[in-house]
Amino acid sequence: MLIEAQAEQCTFVTRGLCAAAVLCQVEPVGRWFEAFIKRRNRNVSASFQELEDEKESSEESEDEEFQLEEFPLLKTLDPKDWKNQDHYAVLGLKNLRYKATQRQIKAAHKAMVLKHHPDKRKAAGEQIVEGDNDYFTCITKAYEILSDPIKRRAFNSIDPTFDNSIPSKSEGKDNFFDAFSPVFERNSRWSNKKNIPKLGDMNSCIEEVDGFYSFWYNFDSWREFSYLDEEEKEKAECRDERRWIEKQNRAARAQRKKEEMIRIRTLVDNAYSSDPRIKKFKEEEKARKEAEKKAKADARRKEQEEKERQKQAELEAVRLAKEKEEEEARQQALLIKKEKEIQKKAIKKERQRLRTSCKNWNYFSDNEAESVKMMEEIEKLCDRLELASLQSLNESLAVSSKEEGKSAVEKQIAEVNAQLKREKEQEEARMKQSTKGAENSAIGGGSGSKSWSEDDLQLLIKAVNLFPAGTNARWEVIANYMNLHSISGIKRTSKDVINKAKSLQKLDPQQKDDINKKAFDKFKKEHRVVPQSVDNAVPSERFEGPAADMSPWTTEEQKLLEQALKTYPVNTPERWEKIAEAVPGRSKKDCMKRYKELVEMVKAKKAAQEQVLNATKIKK
Amino acid sequence: MAAIGVHLGCTCACVAVYKDGRADVVANDAGDRVTPAVVGFLEKETIVGLAAKQSRVRNATNTIVKVKQILGRSYGDPHTQKHISESKCIVVEKVGKPKYEIDTGETQKFVSSEDVAKLIFSKMKETAQSALGSDVNDVVITVPFDFGESQKKALGEAATAAGFSILRMIHEPSAALLAYGIGQESPTGKSNVLVYKLGGTSLSVTVIEVNSGIYRVLATSTYDDIGGICFTEALAQHLASEFQRTYKQDIRGNARAMMKLMNSADVAKHALSTLGSSNCFVDSLYDGIDFDCNVSRARFELICSSLFNQCIDPIKKLLEQIGFKANDVNQVVLCGGSARIPKLQQLIKDLFPEVEMLSSIPPDEVIPVGAAIQAGILIGKENLSTDLDTITIECSASDILVKETDESGDNKFTVLLPSGTPLPARRQHVLQAPGHISSVCLELYESGGKSPVESKFAQIVLKDLQKKASGVHDILTVLTMKRDGSLHITCTDKDSGKSEMITVEETP
Repeated sequence: MLIEAQAEQCTFVTRGLCAAAVLCQVEPVGRWFEAFIKRRNRNVSASFQELEDEKESSEESEDEEFQLEEFPLLKTLDPKDWKNQDHYAVLGLKNLRYKATQRQIKAAHKAMVLKHHPDKRKAAGEQIVEGDNDYFTCITKAYEILSDPIKRRAFNSIDPTFDNSIPSKSEGKDNFFDAFSPVFERNSRWSNKKNIPKLGDMNSCIEEVDGFYSFWYNFDSWREFSYLDEEEKEKAECRDERRWIEKQNRAARAQRKKEEMIRIRTLVDNAYSSDPRIKKFKEEEKARKEAEKKAKADARRKEQEEKERQKQAELEAVRLAKEKEEEEARQQALLIKKEKEIQKKAIKKERQRLRTSCKNWNYFSDNEAESVKMMEEIEKLCDRLELASLQSLNESLAVSSKEEGKSAVEKQIAEVNAQLKREKEQEEARMKQSTKGAENSAIGGGSGSKSWSEDDLQLLIKAVNLFPAGTNARWEVIANYMNLHSISGIKRTSKDVINKAKSLQKLDPQQKDDINKKAFDKFKKEHRVVPQSVDNAVPSERFEGPAADMSPWTTEEQKLLEQALKTYPVNTPERWEKIAEAVPGRSKKDCMKRYKELVEMVKAKKAAQEQVLNATKIKK
Repeated sequence: MAAIGVHLGCTCACVAVYKDGRADVVANDAGDRVTPAVVGFLEKETIVGLAAKQSRVRNATNTIVKVKQILGRSYGDPHTQKHISESKCIVVEKVGKPKYEIDTGETQKFVSSEDVAKLIFSKMKETAQSALGSDVNDVVITVPFDFGESQKKALGEAATAAGFSILRMIHEPSAALLAYGIGQESPTGKSNVLVYKLGGTSLSVTVIEVNSGIYRVLATSTYDDIGGICFTEALAQHLASEFQRTYKQDIRGNARAMMKLMNSADVAKHALSTLGSSNCFVDSLYDGIDFDCNVSRARFELICSSLFNQCIDPIKKLLEQIGFKANDVNQVVLCGGSARIPKLQQLIKDLFPEVEMLSSIPPDEVIPVGAAIQAGILIGKENLSTDLDTITIECSASDILVKETDESGDNKFTVLLPSGTPLPARRQHVLQAPGHISSVCLELYESGGKSPVESKFAQIVLKDLQKKASGVHDILTVLTMKRDGSLHITCTDKDSGKSEMITVEETP
């Protein structure tokens, strides 16, 4: 029971709610959840299930109320000609047509059946045509077509009341919207997509118009023409015939569909070309572009002017700075000149003073020769001494006696002489060095500061061949190899080696040959000594080697040797004999020698590479 | 159009079909309504269900049980490690994922947990199809409340691989509520429901608030170390000691004999849920000796007494955690096969003496039935938003109450709009005032949310009512709360048509 209100009480809100809404996590389960989400997704601000239910029930009642319109010619219809009848009219849905819902169709059919069923009519005392010839068959057929969504669509597609005409361009010239709006409206029913854009009016914005035309240019129609099929597939007796019919029908349908597409296309083309808005937009666009162009040109010009001005200003500034600098330099030069003159004068004066003071003292000597010599010395002093030392000398001369003055002067003279001598020596040393340097450079020639002896060149060629292009850190490896094996003792870097190798490559072949020949000569020279000594000695195994060495190993033999080395492993008894057998034309010694050489070579290569590797590691 | 609901448990899987407005569990080819979630790999074929469970005695290393425990988990997960330590089947690590190593004589293969789940789902699909006589794809799958994102994903992948198209994944407790249709009749009212699920290997207790037909989980807890298997083990241990007492043979070390005994104990346990006593008989259990033993229900309850306590404690803990008393719970729903045990039901009943306990649907079928009902709701609906796992909605934060007097003249408060009502909401009440007074005052209070005690925030006064000698004034009160939390109240006297209305905003 509610309580009674006091006389003075009235309706009012004391304060707001402390906490009204909180977010809760809920389980996505149950019908009320689904209903809630549906409502929320539709964004109904305060919708309630009750209201929705009411709406639905009202819709239902509306369905019941629709009016059926009797088709006046119903009784005259020929069931055999069902294909040409208007099914909607037959069922009394002439006004609703394609807008009729399935429920309405069902209801209409029910009403029709109740009224026109042969049994009903028989009961009312009407004459009935027996069999399928009764017009009631038409009602059945109509319902059959309209209740099946696919068949209904086929019938809707060729709706006899649909106006297929499209306005021409000239019609749209004067009254575009009146001419085209109903046509688009009419044709939009074929669209597969919902939300068909409206033609709009003169005030539609460019986006709307664009959207409208892009929609219609990409029109996706469900209209199809299977209803107009000449032959019926069901009638066929065998599979071949059915196939043939199907083919015929398909072709006819495709043809009609194409025509329909062309029709829509023409409609849209006509509309587009006579649309006053498009014209307007185009003009606007043109105007805008021109304005933009102009603005751009203006901007560019302005920019250029600005640049020009800036350049001028810069040039001006530079010029001013230069002028100022020059002015300063001139001032400076003037100042320096003046100072120099002053100094010169001072020196002159001081010299004069020295001379006079010396003269006063009769050059510190009595006899003529000595005084002449002293005079020379004094002149030398005057020449060499600076202003400051001259002044100090003069001063010391002025205050001191003759003897003291003499010693001071002599001391100065001695110093100057020593200086002169030192300079002379230095000059000589420099001379000597320069001549030496010239000699050196003459020796070094074009190949840089380090000279390349014949041996080294030979070694280099060998190394280059030993480490072909593609070897890891090739030039460093080569340089190392050179350093290890060279007898000249000159340390070479990879750069030197590269330079030399390049210059060698540049040398013409003749020169190369020369080098090779020289090498060969040298080789001969070296080895001639041995054979000469061997000639008379007891033939021993030891010397067979070098003699045999003269004939080089061909690649063929090399290969055979390698193969043999592989086939006869180290522990094979009498290994070398067998290897020698495998290599025709080579003795056991030859083979052994070659093998040792190979091992050496490989070892050297490895060592060199390792060194380089270490070096690079250290660098890192 | 038919849709199905599938529940995949650790030990058993079950499928229910929604057809013609009803949801019912369908029996599999062996005639059982639940199918053991066991997959066995033989030399040439793969078997799922009862056959695999029975052949496990001979084929333990190639039979996979409790696959749900590692589904979607990484190899390093502690759950996975626990499963591996218990599994008879070798589990190896492949790219961070656990895989079963199956060696059937000639070939050796690695089977992922998703593949195993897929086999079970395929079996459930077959079962549903044979019952319906037609192909069925649309399915609602239940997941435990503690399933993570990767586990759901793995389960979903397995179901998709089995040819299902998943309408939605729902939580097991919610499915249980849906099976009993709690809150589904009318979209008003509020109640609290406790869902007690004792499955094969886990126990979970959940409290769900039902408000306006929408479920909200208030609290939940899961225990992985207790389940129906513990009861079976306890019984098997008892049987083993019986065997030892009679024949002086200890069979506890013999894995195969123990497995036989476990199977027998399982059967006996099921029988004891309905019968007073059960007979355990194992042919040639050990060393050619047959074993025969009779277990009474009282004996079974004695053996498992400590386990019962373990099963009941979680309920008390959970209620304590959310500050609920026993009578704050309006209904209790039992699910999971082990909730059939009569003693357990009795203990829960003792805990909630005044509360309605729902166990009319067999506990192990509750969840799939609920899933099938959900599937029935969803089927045929377009654009299902599948990502509804973490949906949040606006709810009212506090109770809206009106002060009234009862017969004795004391003040009492009537709830007009309970807290937790999904917004927007509209509630209509007919309040009554004594006929002899000419004016009424509705004092409106709010409670809950930030303030625990009732506090007045508005009053509505209707004056100059016609006095009646007998009868009462009917005051139609309509409360409307929008999503932003603003409240609009209209009061109308039915006789005179006088009305007053107020709008209350939330204080910032």
